[in-house]
Amino acid sequence: MQDSNKIIQEFTSLEYKEGFVTDVEQEFIPKGLNEEIVRLISARKEEPEWLLEFRLDAFRKWQAMPMPEWAHLDMPEIDFQDIIYFAAPKKDKDRPKEIDPKLAETFDKLGIPLQERDVLAGVVAVDAVFDSVSVTTTFRKTLAEKGIIFCSFSEAVKEHPDLVRKYLATVVPASDNYFAALNSAVFSDGSFCYIPKGVKCPMELSSYFRINARGTGQFERTLIVADEGSYVSYMEGCTAPMRDEQQLHAAVVEIIVEKDADVKYSTVQNWYPGDADGKGGILNLVTKRGICKGSGSHLSWTQVETGSAITWKYPSTILKGDFSSSEFYSVAVTNNHQQADTGTKMIHLGRGTKSRIVSKGISAGVSQNSYRGLVRMARGAEGARNFSQCDSLLIGSRCGAHTFPDIQSQNPTATVEHEATTSKISEDQLFYCNQRGLDPEEAVGLIVNGYAREVLSRLPMEFAVEAQKLLQVSLEGSVG
Amino acid sequence: MGHGKYIDPFCHSERSEESYYQVQAGETLDLQFVVLPGESKDIEVKVDLCGPGAQAHLKGLYLCKADEKVNFKVVMHHRSPLCKSTQLFNGIAGGEAQVNFHGTIVVAPDAQQTEAYQENHNIVLTEQARVDTKPQLEIYADDVKCSHGATVGQLNADELFYMRSRGIPENEAKTLQMLSFLSPVIPAGREEEVEKAVRSL
Repeated sequence: MQDSNKIIQEFTSLEYKEGFVTDVEQEFIPKGLNEEIVRLISARKEEPEWLLEFRLDAFRKWQAMPMPEWAHLDMPEIDFQDIIYFAAPKKDKDRPKEIDPKLAETFDKLGIPLQERDVLAGVVAVDAVFDSVSVTTTFRKTLAEKGIIFCSFSEAVKEHPDLVRKYLATVVPASDNYFAALNSAVFSDGSFCYIPKGVKCPMELSSYFRINARGTGQFERTLIVADEGSYVSYMEGCTAPMRDEQQLHAAVVEIIVEKDADVKYSTVQNWYPGDADGKGGILNLVTKRGICKGSGSHLSWTQVETGSAITWKYPSTILKGDFSSSEFYSVAVTNNHQQADTGTKMIHLGRGTKSRIVSKGISAGVSQNSYRGLVRMARGAEGARNFSQCDSLLIGSRCGAHTFPDIQSQNPTATVEHEATTSKISEDQLFYCNQRGLDPEEAVGLIVNGYAREVLSRLPMEFAVEAQKLLQVSLEGSVG
Repeated sequence: MGHGKYIDPFCHSERSEESYYQVQAGETLDLQFVVLPGESKDIEVKVDLCGPGAQAHLKGLYLCKADEKVNFKVVMHHRSPLCKSTQLFNGIAGGEAQVNFHGTIVVAPDAQQTEAYQENHNIVLTEQARVDTKPQLEIYADDVKCSHGATVGQLNADELFYMRSRGIPENEAKTLQMLSFLSPVIPAGREEEVEKAVRSL
């Protein structure tokens, strides 16, 4: 027992390998939030008038909104005046074109290549966002040959203002919810992606978000538009340094899927989860939503959530086009003092729409893990179909696992099925593994990976390996 | 409070009804709810399983038509180890009826070796009817077996075809389907009453 305790302690001390800080000169704007700050961010980014108006409108709406309290979370009070809303690494005046070697080194350390070289498992185009700005976007030229636009949000505003203006806030309006309104007012950078008609994106597109500066928040905005008959697979990753203070991350992701287009969106969320006593960590308060606009369109969400002190995230799909379909696959792991309230919304509007939800929650330590989901069959959803499965796995007697589904049916031809189970790793399974020479940690890792397989197998290959390792690391110290 | 307590909301005249039960160690609570067409109803029931080995078994049946509104709110609280609870609620909504089912199972931190199951099945007959169901689990102990299931759907077309191809008239076939769907929750001795109500839908 003592031995295993020692091993566990050793493991927990090296748990979060992405927790380093990059020492790079940065520019900040003053702390606090008011109209001046919103104007300052907009001016700093040299934005057109309409975007400033959009921000100010969102800010005014945000001021009138109350903080949402319905989630099953013990949310600390957030002082919005104590946050720096814009931080950017200083540009080297002598070499304006090149990437600061320190930043390149940082992303290299995180396993994100900023040079255009082939990575082992295939080619991935990356948009790397460091605090409030995009550092670089790789493979832009290769993609442009096919007519694909993949760049940072700020560049998109400058180079493709018509597209941005046409689609921005059409899926998540500024007044959608408290954090979406906040994001709309102060969003800094993010990715923009447009796939033209009939084009299959030849490589995986990816955004990598890194928080570095102290006392800041990250507010990124991602907009993906897949035009008729196109296909894209999009991945998102994120990390932050280890700090005692809690940092805010409030992002908005909007996805528009036109007729017969297919979008696959995968996330491996590994923000700093706080230490074993629940100190520090990222507050991850995110609004993600896609619309299957045209008939036969398809949107698939896959997420692996292992990080963040608090996760508040419901990737949703509006199934508007007839015979459109959507899936949501999720593994959410909470350990120590982490709290997660995550799930999805499937809004069926069109005829013959289909959706499938598979959610696997794993809670350990004294964490709280909730699934919250809405399935709505509107009056026009003739013959629509949904299946949801939400399983929870409990490791240790002091954690909590909760399921809050909401099923609303207004159509007699629609079918909705929901099932959920909660259980723990059985003594028999553990005994079996132990007997064959696996120590308890390895055994739990093996069982959890098996339990989450259905979701992990949906991830793009580059992510699947990382996600499996992450699951193992996240649960270290939870048994014994 | 002991074994076999039986309540029948149908006998009560008020629209809303709240009840609360404490089940002590070793006791078993059986509850049966029947809501037949002709009235709107709000039913709220809270059960605390307070002692080791306490059990609660809840069954509910509801049939609604016209513009009736039926709301169920069930909170099953496992406060003690080794308790077992089952819930089965089946209902049919026709006309412009609205059904809300909100069921929660809470398992307290030390209520180990809990078994808790909850099921809610619904059939929607008409385009104007609406069913919302929220089966929820809040679990704070690890050695538990808990599950819930909820479905909202329609009468199976294949079954209907099978019966009709064997000469059973459509209405009769539908009645048979609905009765078989409800059969697990029809209280003993009230089969005829329920059948009459199903035919009236």
